[in-house]
Amino acid sequence: MTHNQSHFEKLYHEYKTLVYTMALHYLQNVEDAEEVTQDVFVKIYHSLDSFNRKSSYKTWIYRITINQSLDFIKKKNSQKRFFVFGKKSQNELEYLNATNFEHPGILMEHQEEAKILFEVINTLTENQKTAFLLSKLDGLSNPEIAEIMQLSISSVESLIFRGKQTLKERLATKFETYHKKK
Amino acid sequence: MSMEKENWIENIINSSNGITSVAPNANLFSKIQRKIKEQETISLKTLWLVAASIAVLILLNISVIDFKSKQTQSATTAYLEMTVNKSNQLYQ
Repeated sequence: MTHNQSHFEKLYHEYKTLVYTMALHYLQNVEDAEEVTQDVFVKIYHSLDSFNRKSSYKTWIYRITINQSLDFIKKKNSQKRFFVFGKKSQNELEYLNATNFEHPGILMEHQEEAKILFEVINTLTENQKTAFLLSKLDGLSNPEIAEIMQLSISSVESLIFRGKQTLKERLATKFETYHKKK
Repeated sequence: MSMEKENWIENIINSSNGITSVAPNANLFSKIQRKIKEQETISLKTLWLVAASIAVLILLNISVIDFKSKQTQSATTAYLEMTVNKSNQLYQ
């Protein structure tokens, strides 16, 4: 086993849970999260030599995971558009609405409510969604999020604030529809 | 906002409380290693294909240049022969 390979294996065992969980937050589908995790580690393997160590491995791996997840959603949406000849959408809703909600990290008794929560999270802009997921679900601090997203701390604060506001507003609209149905 | 609505929203937002990290399938690492190996074989194949295409292109270029130069040579010889013949016309 070469030095590079053993280093890669060590990184895999250290970060596999972080990558897989983050992919699950984005995609809410076990199979797709596994595919993204595979792609992330293949990318890490090929970029290991060029990693410049300006940031920590954790930050670097977070960035790769976020980009791979967003690219995966875009790819799935464009595949779908290719077959239906539809127009380009503004967010990730097309693909995410089509997949069944699966998140093994959510407590069994919260699955139904969490499905509604993620439906609304998926309507946020890419940056709002990323900041919200890293802050609320991964429990990272604002400076850590700022480093990952390569933004200032104040920008992250405002993204999280606006994300929460939008989330509450859209949940309020959802509440009305749910009650009308009842 | 009514109390009921506020409670409902809070309930939904708090549904992510207690979320846990999830480890991927145990055989994922072998899948990743297989994918890396596959990509390496593919890239080696691509490398050979590219090298072969370049070689074919070079050969084609050489043969075209060779053919062209032979054509120019014969044209020059023909022209020379013509001019020589013309200048040697003793009875015009």
